[in-house]
Amino acid sequence: MEKQFTIKNPQGIHARPAGAIMKKASEFANAQISLEFNGRKVSAKSITGVLTLGMKAGDSVTVITEGEQAAEALEAVGSIIESVLD
Amino acid sequence: MFGFGKKKKSISITAPITGKVVPLEQVPDPAFAQKIIGDGIAIEPEQGSLVAPFDGHVIHLIDTHHSLVLGHESGLELLVHIGVNTVSLQGKPFTTYVKSGDKVKKGDKLIDFDIAQIKEAGLPVITPIIVANGDIVAELKVNQGQATANSSELMEITLK
Repeated sequence: MEKQFTIKNPQGIHARPAGAIMKKASEFANAQISLEFNGRKVSAKSITGVLTLGMKAGDSVTVITEGEQAAEALEAVGSIIESVLD
Repeated sequence: MFGFGKKKKSISITAPITGKVVPLEQVPDPAFAQKIIGDGIAIEPEQGSLVAPFDGHVIHLIDTHHSLVLGHESGLELLVHIGVNTVSLQGKPFTTYVKSGDKVKKGDKLIDFDIAQIKEAGLPVITPIIVANGDIVAELKVNQGQATANSSELMEITLK
């Protein structure tokens, strides 16, 4: 499954929001969760991967999920991406 | 088995900053203090200079220059975050000597930071140093106390 979400955090996805995305994604142990942005695809369970996307406020990122609880994972990770965590 | 068991790889991480080594719990940011981002240690810097703790490369320098992720040849990823909430300073107290993708040698200058300027902005300078991919780590040993950049061993990490 996949769906686009928009970064709302004014400071973009720096360490703290990236940590929150990774933590939420990691709760879905049996789902593969990826983020695709600007032609690059990374695991949402890797803070390094999430940080290297360099996403800014207003950017649109595609969340892609497979496996168990794919739908729940999609919405849960998407809701973190769209929340303001600064 | 038969005495040919795979030898576990151990990585020594040299202090990248001179200062006092303290537990992560003392970082006033729950993302670090509760180890949400990962396990590691923090340094209360006494000198505003960050150097490479091992030979490796810069996986990612955050564009506001207050944080970077370093990669070790073993695959270990180390996140260094200078200060707390320092993203809000938009790079001003930071001078960088590297960019994403650069190879670095242990002791190379990475980022200089103005401790006084960060404190004037009302922000803590305490710097968490975190293993960003803890899933490959079997054991992490930390040497607390006083650290000297490019000299003291800060952490010893055994990989799975």
